[in-house]
Amino acid sequence: MPKSPTRPTGFAVLRAGRGSFLLHRRATLVATLLGASLAVTAVVYLCVGESFVGPGEVVRVLAGQPSPDEFVVGTLRMPRLVVGLLAGAAFGVAGSFIQTVARNPLASPDVIGVTHGAGAATVAAMTFGVAAHSTLPYVSILGGLAAAALVYVFAWRKGLHAARFVLIGIGISVALGSLTQLLLTKGDYLVAQQAKVWLTGSLNGRGYDHAAPLASILLVLTPALFWAARAQRTVSFDDDTATALGVRLGRVRLCLTVLGVVLASVATAAAGPVDFVALLAPQIARRLTRTAQIPLVGSALTGALIVTVADLLARKLFSPIELPVGVFTAAVGAPYLMWLIVRTRSRSGGTA
Amino acid sequence: MSRATRRRIGPTAGGALLLVLTGLLVLAVLLSLAVGSRQIAPSVVVDALIHGGVHGGGSDDAQVVRALRVPRTLIGVMVGVALAVAGTVMQGITRNPIAEPGILGVSQGASVGVVCAIAFLGVHSLSGYVWFAFAGAGIAAVAVYVIASGGRGGATPVKLALAGTAMNALLASVVSGIVTTDAEALDEFRFWHVGSISGRSAEIAGQTWPFLLAGLLLVAATARGLDALALGEDVAAGLGHNVPLLRILGGLGATVLTGVAVAAAGPIAFTGLAVPHIARALVGTDHRWVLPAAALLGPVMLLVADVLGRVVFPPSEVPVAVMTALLGVPFLIALVRRKAVVAA
Repeated sequence: MPKSPTRPTGFAVLRAGRGSFLLHRRATLVATLLGASLAVTAVVYLCVGESFVGPGEVVRVLAGQPSPDEFVVGTLRMPRLVVGLLAGAAFGVAGSFIQTVARNPLASPDVIGVTHGAGAATVAAMTFGVAAHSTLPYVSILGGLAAAALVYVFAWRKGLHAARFVLIGIGISVALGSLTQLLLTKGDYLVAQQAKVWLTGSLNGRGYDHAAPLASILLVLTPALFWAARAQRTVSFDDDTATALGVRLGRVRLCLTVLGVVLASVATAAAGPVDFVALLAPQIARRLTRTAQIPLVGSALTGALIVTVADLLARKLFSPIELPVGVFTAAVGAPYLMWLIVRTRSRSGGTA
Repeated sequence: MSRATRRRIGPTAGGALLLVLTGLLVLAVLLSLAVGSRQIAPSVVVDALIHGGVHGGGSDDAQVVRALRVPRTLIGVMVGVALAVAGTVMQGITRNPIAEPGILGVSQGASVGVVCAIAFLGVHSLSGYVWFAFAGAGIAAVAVYVIASGGRGGATPVKLALAGTAMNALLASVVSGIVTTDAEALDEFRFWHVGSISGRSAEIAGQTWPFLLAGLLLVAATARGLDALALGEDVAAGLGHNVPLLRILGGLGATVLTGVAVAAAGPIAFTGLAVPHIARALVGTDHRWVLPAAALLGPVMLLVADVLGRVVFPPSEVPVAVMTALLGVPFLIALVRRKAVVAA
């Protein structure tokens, strides 16, 4: 096949019949490698625990063949792994949308109050006993959206200043965190205990009933994600270029933000506020692929990988005591945030 | 006479204002002694304080006041003073309006120090672990400031707040890691997640005040220098102040105050943010007036927050740190919306 003259460097052209598709070579390679390491991690995750199960048996269970370890792997560890994978992927994608819109690696759903909003709403629903497990994700989405809207409204003062946005986001996060504590004090002892476990961002005791709403919402959002992958590219130009190209900047940004907030809230509803995954995943993925924009698939895979590895460590490192995943992701994510602050060339806080 | 044109306050007006603030503090103290899951009439409170409750009133009430509420209120007052003054000094030496022990992660640093001391070294008395609180607070403060000053643009408010948030998250995860793995001591630790002044004995109050006094003396020595520093580092140096020494002294004072407040009550945020700004709005920018005004207002805010926490969801109590955060966040938002903060 003759080399296409319009092909940009670093891309491969994929042709299927009349359709053709540009593929970033390095990004594809990275995604494949991430996928492979995710698969390995998943198998290790299923092997390791209170009792060790051989990888061969795990693969047999996964393939649906009868096995003596069916109960441990299929019933105990599998649901937890699924929740971790889905929540991690959702956090990663959510982070990449919001960071793209804000053009700022520091703006992540954790920093700007979305996860805390989702957390406060969920705890409120638990405390007042208005919601069953199946409706909690929707309550959580509402909470996340409300928190984001609140930050936006308070930060708006003749335009949106990035520094003001982040500061107000931090403030609102703290306030919502306190509100959650307040609700915990009010609630019944059992509910408070349950909510506390949920709040530390733990995958302990998560089952398919947590995974199902998450999976169904992700499935519903898939068409939107395809749109977003295109939109993300147009938004990452500077304002003038994008407008000149005919992009309705305001609308696209709003849609991307809402999508990001919804994803982060749903993931929070399932796994609790697992801090810093949404901050870390897109940044790591982008450094791996070296693309101009944040790669979506890469972010999703990185997010899933981070959550599973963190949960694996949280289960094994201090066994028999299990630590919440959130503790591990924060221990890794917080220093990374500090490093970003040191590295970021903040020009008068304009794009900070 | 408007504040905009008159930044300094005369001795008469200032004295009168401080007197009013003292009155407010007395009121807050009485409120903290009288209100709770058992309501006690103010006359009984006064009686219990002065005569030990032998005249009239139930002796139960007198017992509650003397054994439970007096220590609690005393600690509330001391923690309030410490945090408010620490906040004022931090805002002064960093020349940054949102500097505060809670937001910058200094309180959380002290908290990690205390938790480590209890978990690994078996120190169980306040006078023992307060030193670890100082160390933790100092290290956290320096680390946050260094991180925020890195990169271009120096330590802007937004970078300080972000570095503080990151530090808070990191240290909170350390605390929760230690607490979860050391389950037997969980009861002793519960308190270090969210600050609270309930259930502290009179003994703790007795061990707190010497450190508080030391911190206040350190800060008082820097008051004049802080005024000069408000004009800029070069001006302060030109006026004959030793700026690095000033920063070290002030930082040491703030660290001691934060450390002792955390050792007594756990991490409590936002008192140190809101109070100095209110004090400055009342008495102008002169630190020799701002510091005493903040020292009077701090305990008022803390005690009022604590009383609110006792009454919102009876019979359970909301920790005071939760209430100060809820009261303080609107303040932070108002502050950030003013142009001055983000123009940096």
